[in-house]
Amino acid sequence: MSAESERAERLTELRQKFGRKPLAPGEETIPHSPREAQPKFRGLDSGHRACQGCGEALAARLVMESAGPDVMIANATGCLEVFTTPWPQSAWRVPWVHSLFENAAAVASGMEAAMKAQGKNTKVLAFGGDGGTYDIGFQALSGMLERYHNVLYVCYDNEAYMNTGIQRSSSTPHSATTTTSPAGKERMGKRHLKKDLLSIIAAHHIPYAASASVAFPADLQRKVRYAMGIDGPTFLVIHSPCPLGWKHASALTIQVARRAVECGLFPLVEIERGALTNVMPIRDVRPVTDYLSIQGRFSHLMDTEDTRAEEERAHLQALADYNIQVFSLQGDGEDPVDTGGSAAVGRSGHAARRA
Amino acid sequence: MVSMTRGAYAKPGTSLDFKTGNWRSTEMPAHIHAKAPCHAACPAGEDQQAWFAKLQEGHAEAAWAELVRANPLPAITGRVCPHPCEGACNRAALDGALAIHNVERWLGDEAIRNGWDYPVAAPRANAPEVGIVGAGPAGISAAYHCLRHGLRATIYEASPEAGGLLRAAIPQTRLPRAPLDAELSRVLALPGITLNLRTRLGRDVSLEELRHNHPAVLLAPGCQASTAWSVDGAVPADLREGLHMLKDFVDHGALPEAERVVVHGGGNTAMDLCRLLKRSGSKQVTLITASGLPGPDTDPSDEINVVPRELEEALEEGIEIIDHATINRLIMKGSRVTGVEIMSLRKLPGRDGRSHRIGFEGTERVVAVDMVIPCIGERVEPQGLSGLVERGYLRPSDRFGRLNEGELFALGDARGDRGTVAAAIGDGALAASAVARHLAGEADPVVDDRPEMPNAGLNLTYYDHLPRAEAPKLSVEERTFDTEIEGDIGRVAAMAEAERCLSCGNCLACDNCWTFCPDNAVIKTVELALDGSHYLFDLDYCKGCGLCAHECPTGFIQMLPNANGATEGAV
Ligand SMILES: Cc1cc2nc3c(=O)[nH]c(=O)nc-3n(C[C@H](O)[C@H](O)[C@H](O)COP(=O)(O)OP(=O)(O)OC[C@H]3O[C@@H](n4cnc5c(N)ncnc54)[C@H](O)[C@@H]3O)c2cc1C
Ligand SMILES: Cc1ncc(C[n+]2csc(CCOP(=O)(O)OP(=O)(O)O)c2C)c(N)n1
Ligand code: SF4
Ligand code: SF4
Ligand code: SF4
Ligand SMILES: [Mg+2]
Repeated sequence: MSAESERAERLTELRQKFGRKPLAPGEETIPHSPREAQPKFRGLDSGHRACQGCGEALAARLVMESAGPDVMIANATGCLEVFTTPWPQSAWRVPWVHSLFENAAAVASGMEAAMKAQGKNTKVLAFGGDGGTYDIGFQALSGMLERYHNVLYVCYDNEAYMNTGIQRSSSTPHSATTTTSPAGKERMGKRHLKKDLLSIIAAHHIPYAASASVAFPADLQRKVRYAMGIDGPTFLVIHSPCPLGWKHASALTIQVARRAVECGLFPLVEIERGALTNVMPIRDVRPVTDYLSIQGRFSHLMDTEDTRAEEERAHLQALADYNIQVFSLQGDGEDPVDTGGSAAVGRSGHAARRA
Repeated sequence: MVSMTRGAYAKPGTSLDFKTGNWRSTEMPAHIHAKAPCHAACPAGEDQQAWFAKLQEGHAEAAWAELVRANPLPAITGRVCPHPCEGACNRAALDGALAIHNVERWLGDEAIRNGWDYPVAAPRANAPEVGIVGAGPAGISAAYHCLRHGLRATIYEASPEAGGLLRAAIPQTRLPRAPLDAELSRVLALPGITLNLRTRLGRDVSLEELRHNHPAVLLAPGCQASTAWSVDGAVPADLREGLHMLKDFVDHGALPEAERVVVHGGGNTAMDLCRLLKRSGSKQVTLITASGLPGPDTDPSDEINVVPRELEEALEEGIEIIDHATINRLIMKGSRVTGVEIMSLRKLPGRDGRSHRIGFEGTERVVAVDMVIPCIGERVEPQGLSGLVERGYLRPSDRFGRLNEGELFALGDARGDRGTVAAAIGDGALAASAVARHLAGEADPVVDDRPEMPNAGLNLTYYDHLPRAEAPKLSVEERTFDTEIEGDIGRVAAMAEAERCLSCGNCLACDNCWTFCPDNAVIKTVELALDGSHYLFDLDYCKGCGLCAHECPTGFIQMLPNANGATEGAV
């Protein structure tokens, strides 16, 4: 088949699925409410039960806007699954399957194989929390990547098992307090380091793996679109603050996420076939304390009397500096795609920059 | 059980059935259009944020039309206004205030070049006709605003030409004749305005006649009478008062010759005169002013009352300024002055609660001079205004300029508490609005008491660094008596400058709230929402997290105490 006729066929398929039926003579159009007339696809809609200011709900909606509507989802157990689908309701507007906590990637692999067998092009997405990805679902994910399924796996990284009450995961950052790594006399929060998952994923030599943040939605959505265009396994990890588990005001979700990037603790990088191909440069690098001090999960580190706190702050600063060095995050000069330029807004959504 | 169809949208079975809006406990988001600080600071009442918004959309004519809703003379104010708006601009703390006056001037000049029509309709033939005395900026603005309210206006002007001090005193290096003539004649040619030149109140027409012929009379005669100046009774024989000297120069280019000159005063007349004298060859020109130079230690109310750019240029040109000082004594040789004794002083609070200027003994020093020129202000010429002038001015009783005499108003410099072109223009708008409401049998217009949007209310994360555009300027050597010193900023820089506006307090349609709400409770519309934005809050689903308010760059979203069950229209 020529590329041309393949495209035409695909368009017809999409029109049948999503297109509006032509009106019969005299037939009236149904008036749309402003919500129905939103100029973007909202694959995840209102009425879900996420907490106020939930970063994960926001991240999932942003992913759906860029990925949908021709997708289907396998969703691991976790907050996202629970708050979007309290029986008998669903906040999803695409086919959606709940897997187990540990096997979203395996279920997605099967869905993809089924699509393939039926000769369909619907893209399969797999969603999991950090617990479901860094920890319990990891071997299923590794298998999916190794078998080269055409699936975009998105990990919503809120750095703990939030749905069961804030237990530490291998993604929880060093020194953060959780219910299973409490700060106290014995320890200053989690003793171990945040797992460098992206490097492990990259070692699978897949076409594309990247990190993104809810604080930079345009960058996030560009990464989703890029991954959607790849025929093969792709992976995205999205830093998604959890006001409840991180103990910050619900209004600060974006500010917290932004500072994680600006201090270097959560680098935004893109890796293709194992090679680092792009990073978001940091315009003005912030000290890690700017990030730590606005979250209750690090409040023990702000104790100026406690020398252990000082040591841990220095440790986290060293980890951030390490990221900045290893990924060359320090920008030189102003760049429209650095942390400052990416945030810039202008009238009617256009970036405020001279042509 | 409910059956679900694919894509069953907002039907039972989807989460839209579940109204998370009832989770809001204490706060809800609301659109609040606070005043931009530039607008609050503008004596002419312009809303710079509003016209910059039009420019950001690329519509220069619409921007001008928005501007002239308040100020019909932007080509003039863009050149001479001390622009308090720029002093208030929230961008100052970021990377420099907006170059508001340069863009205002460019818009004014564009309107003249392209012949854009003023957005006013001709009044009805039988519309009430307001009488106006004086065709300075106050009188002309009042006439223009009468048209905006559907009234007619007749101006009585003593001089053979309109313009007041704009024409009589402000030098061409700051306000060239071409834009002045063009802009004034465009306004005065609007249908509904009648201009009677060479008609002086008190000589050619009386106040009684005017009050008989017009339902309301607006007095805008400016200040024409010089105040007497002498130091301890000594008056040099060749003493000439500054404004007259300046008017003479503007009329026929004559300036006296003197090696060393001292100018006494702290306003535009003093400053303009100093610079002209220096340019015409005086070796040493010293300004002695009781006010202070702008600086961190100077109380703004005690600051020298001139356009900031003029002060800067005067210093460039080598004018010496002795601030916080006064002339204590003249040293005379016969009836000629040969020196002045200067003494330091300060404005200090006195026991009566008012500020007084206190001279400090022991700070006296003598400076040798050939000429002293007082520029200490003028007062209202009482001719034709008998009984209305009180301690030198008309002193109205309210912000609209109302004198306690029925529909009689005082505007501009004649009020005694004004002193800029922009304030005169603002007075014209205020008086016309009050007259229009009165004639329609309505109460005075309400005061816009919305709060200002402070810098701290913005989220500056979302504004990229953009340096302020600079307009070209003649170097000191290139400056003459008639070429304009500050140049045109030009279209490209004007449009780029508009991009810098932060849109303080008003939505700029950046989509942040729409993008960031985790609950899709911000709905974007094509039509304008009632509050002038393009966004609605769907309070059926808003959980009140406050995220949108925090990430709104402009402060247009604020969290208010939660209203129970309130929803914003049908969504
Ligand atoms: C040298 C100088 C420089 C200045 N520079 C600046 C500047 O850079 N920026 C700024 O904002 N302001 C400046 N000012 C101040 C500004 O010019 C005045 O505040 C402004 O012109 C006041 O406007 P007005 O309409 O109240 O009065 P005027 O401009 O004085 O106009 C009054 C008009 O009324 C007419 N008139 C007076 N009496 C009668 C009568 N009895 N019958 C009929 N007509 C009458 C006069 O002929 C005149 O045309 C300057 C002033 C001077 C003197
Ligand atoms: C095998 C198994 N063990 C434990 C659980 C209980 N459980 C449900 S969700 C969850 C944690 C989810 O954490 P994460 O994947 O990080 O998602 P989050 O809720 O933080 O978004 C756990 C432990 C389970 N459902 N299945
Ligand atoms: S940034 Fe714009 S709206 Fe804000 S004060 Fe300056 S000119 Fe006015
Ligand atoms: S972000 Fe959404 S849920 Fe939160 S306060 Fe704003 S509208 Fe409400
Ligand atoms: S966030 Fe942007 S679009 Fe939303 S109200 Fe504020 S300025 Fe307007
Ligand atoms: Mg988690």
